[in-house]
Amino acid sequence: MRCMANESRRSQMLRGVLDLCLLAVLDEGPAYGYEMTRRLRDRGLGSVGEGSIYPLLGRLEREGLVDTYRAASNGGPPRKYYRPSSTGRLALALGVSEWRAARDEINAVLAPVKIEVAS
Amino acid sequence: MSDFVEQCRAEWKRLGVPEPVADEMAGDLATDIREAEADGISVGELLGSSASDPRAFAAAWATERGVVGMRRGQPSSRRGRLALVAFTGVTAIMLIIALLLLVTGEPKVALMTVRAARLGGTNALFAPPPGRVQASAAAPIEWILLFLALAGLAFSGWLWRSRWGRSQPPIAPA
Repeated sequence: MRCMANESRRSQMLRGVLDLCLLAVLDEGPAYGYEMTRRLRDRGLGSVGEGSIYPLLGRLEREGLVDTYRAASNGGPPRKYYRPSSTGRLALALGVSEWRAARDEINAVLAPVKIEVAS
Repeated sequence: MSDFVEQCRAEWKRLGVPEPVADEMAGDLATDIREAEADGISVGELLGSSASDPRAFAAAWATERGVVGMRRGQPSSRRGRLALVAFTGVTAIMLIIALLLLVTGEPKVALMTVRAARLGGTNALFAPPPGRVQASAAAPIEWILLFLALAGLAFSGWLWRSRWGRSQPPIAPA
């Protein structure tokens, strides 16, 4: 039960910043869907919680935060590549700034808490 | 194509996602799943809990992309837009005519009638009675036209607003 609650909290937290994570990995270079999952995984974000990146990519595309184009992947079939638009880069910069401010504020509250796990 | 992708396709078809868009999404998803499986990653790991509900996943993706209902809505939407453009044009012309009539300030109805009578020669068959000529300066035809034009424009403005609101894609919960 506690594990499920933790997973839900993690999912909720991720939901608020997953778009920033996608824009961040795309800022390193254009990528297709699975390639983004791989980049997130390489940074330790193996599971993106309850959702998946595809609907989120759809939203980023609709909001003009990413540009798309089709190109052949390494010898494979043509893939849809995503890269941040200028608006997307601005949104990333603003979002990261907001994230850092929120993280510091929450840390100021939670950091002093001593964690004691009953055995 | 995997069963998961097939179920997504069925949902996109049900939702009226245009076929080329559905083809693109299905193709990308199928290729990603194959590549993930080659890396030893299951559909469940790739898509999280969405893997257990392909229809919900497909609906969320299409909704977020703003492609739901595009196929079914297109023809009627185009006809509706044409009708609305025509209606707006007619009301705008009515407004211009009403304003021109008001600006000139002449008893237009009577003048038009008099001209028709003159064209017909001296026979004053269509000549307005004197009382009509005097009253025509205050004839409400310009004002009626102006009122109708303004009402029509307001109505078409409301229609444009409601169409614009409908054309915005729904926002799915994150």
